[in-house]
Amino acid sequence: MIENFLAGTATLFGDPFTIGIFIFGVLGGMLFGAIPGVSMLTLAAILLPFTADLSPAQGVMLFAVIYCTGTYGGAITAILFNIPGAPENAPTAFDGYPMTQKGMAGKAVGAAVLCSAIGGVASAIVMMSATEPLAQWAIMNIGPPEIFALVFFGLAVASSVGGRTIWKGWLSVLLGLLIATIGQDPVGGINRFNFGYSDLAAGIAFVPAILGFFAVSEIFIQAEKNVSGKYSAPKFNVDFPSFFELWVHKIAVVRSILVGFFCGILPGIGATLAAFMGYGEAVRWSKNKSEFGTGKLEGVISSETANNAATGAAMIPLLALGLPGGALTAMMVAVFQMHDLEPGPLVFYNSPELIWIVFAAMFYANLSILFVGLIETKTILYLLKIPFQFLAPMILMLASIGAYISRGLVLDVIVMFIAGIIGFLLRRSGYSIPGIVLGLILGKIGEQNFAQGMQMVHYDLGTYFSRPICTILIVAGVLTLLKSLHSAFFQKPKVT
Amino acid sequence: MGKLSKPDIFEAAFWLLLVVVFFTVSFSFNQPIEIYKFGATGWPRVILFLMALIALGNFYHAYTKGSKAQEGRVGAKENDDPIKYTSMGQYIKTGTILILPLLYGLSLKPVGFYSGTPIFIAFIMMAWGERRVKFILTNTLLIYSILIGLFMVVLNAPLPQGNMSPFYDISAFMLKTKTQLDQMF
Repeated sequence: MIENFLAGTATLFGDPFTIGIFIFGVLGGMLFGAIPGVSMLTLAAILLPFTADLSPAQGVMLFAVIYCTGTYGGAITAILFNIPGAPENAPTAFDGYPMTQKGMAGKAVGAAVLCSAIGGVASAIVMMSATEPLAQWAIMNIGPPEIFALVFFGLAVASSVGGRTIWKGWLSVLLGLLIATIGQDPVGGINRFNFGYSDLAAGIAFVPAILGFFAVSEIFIQAEKNVSGKYSAPKFNVDFPSFFELWVHKIAVVRSILVGFFCGILPGIGATLAAFMGYGEAVRWSKNKSEFGTGKLEGVISSETANNAATGAAMIPLLALGLPGGALTAMMVAVFQMHDLEPGPLVFYNSPELIWIVFAAMFYANLSILFVGLIETKTILYLLKIPFQFLAPMILMLASIGAYISRGLVLDVIVMFIAGIIGFLLRRSGYSIPGIVLGLILGKIGEQNFAQGMQMVHYDLGTYFSRPICTILIVAGVLTLLKSLHSAFFQKPKVT
Repeated sequence: MGKLSKPDIFEAAFWLLLVVVFFTVSFSFNQPIEIYKFGATGWPRVILFLMALIALGNFYHAYTKGSKAQEGRVGAKENDDPIKYTSMGQYIKTGTILILPLLYGLSLKPVGFYSGTPIFIAFIMMAWGERRVKFILTNTLLIYSILIGLFMVVLNAPLPQGNMSPFYDISAFMLKTKTQLDQMF
């Protein structure tokens, strides 16, 4: 492994053009992740056609680097503006934004930098040492029933955070699941709920919906505060967390690495569920559960460690099985196909140099988060000083471009603004936007794997429970739901 | 009426109406799939059933306990005190801010990005309460230049050009100028 890694490093840093692409990926991912309104997906969508001019290794490496640094970059907007750069940063906003409101933005961003780097580097090391055996294990033990069970567990966890009551948390997740059913059904390709619009046959695109629910609705919330004279600019602060403040959360970091890696390795699940589950587990194991959501550093640490820990793991099903774990890894498949390559087990034998340059680049990209992130953090915090009258139209415009570019459809811009209005109204009423988005992302994956699983077991639900991983996840999901149900009936409302 | 408020009744009605509409529409694609017993409607109808059930639970919760946040809910603090409107002017201002972007989105197909964007930027600043003409003009120009510089010049991203004269001609002129500049350098 070490020899291969060193060979990958030598190839990566032996060619000035490849170094240039690596630096571009690191800075581009961080920048697009950190600009409110656009995300790493926008950058990836724009760059996709240009990768045809690069070598396969350079093209895949560029996307892998953007994936690592962009996942971190999205935390900055989540913390500073309550606008997650990507869905995997949504749980970061639960505690990150309250920290900004309390004048602790520096501590939150500093923790995000460090934990993203730790999670990413740990994940990259495991990815390098265990891609092939882990892929073999996944092939043997993970099938549609397990993936459906994990989606079920993830949604159960997601519904327990975010909404004002558990009922609203569940309704949010169900709304996301319902939106995900718009478009063709994953088994028979029958059009559902397209209301006569042919553009809706492909479903509600993921990027505009996320931008609408997160970025546009946040602009509307701030605008409403401005109209009623309640708007107050976030407090500016550049104090980083001390070593001791971070050290006390070491167990949360290790737990989030494990959760993130497990979620990342499963095809189709990716970093979003990892972040939610990392955060959910932090709440579950904490002695002071009520402090979560009010500006607790552990919330930021858990979410950011888990989502970056999933980045390396998400490459395993992509490279070993040819199955993308999310939107960006799906674009990587397109890069492979542009160069007449198919990701899968044969890549390890046919193009080992490609694999190891990607592995090495991801390792160094995660290290770069630490160094470049710490340098850029203090500059980025100055975003808080920009007046919102200037920032609001800028964010709306960037979001419009981001929504349009992914598919080249004006409909997506309209969908984004409608999602923004719906998100605004639902947030006012105490519903959970991250819950809706997770339902939207996992809905199709859940349905597809449920259908495949049912076909596999000949519609015998009992067979599901003969599979140990599946049983554990379903039981964990049911227990989470029962616990939520208990609190729904027997817990008192907050005393205000 | 227990602890119910008007928004609680409205919310319950909204969710149940959504369920009824989607359930009714689901009959339009209620076709069997040979390889899958539950067909195309199985999954969405389960979601709709759960949605109706939980909407009723939500209604019952509001009836017995009111709509305050439950103890221990994470990430719900920001929603605890929704802003109360005291005048019609506030409704109009917020409504304008909500509708303006949607109008911009709807205008993109006929007007295009290049012509519609500066007007939208200026209007959104005004809707935010900004009245200084110099501030609006300077910042509109600045934001527009940044967007054009980044997406049109550097990234060469395809943006909507519009299909109505003279907006289409303006877009064509900008793209032609960009191509000429590319050829020069």
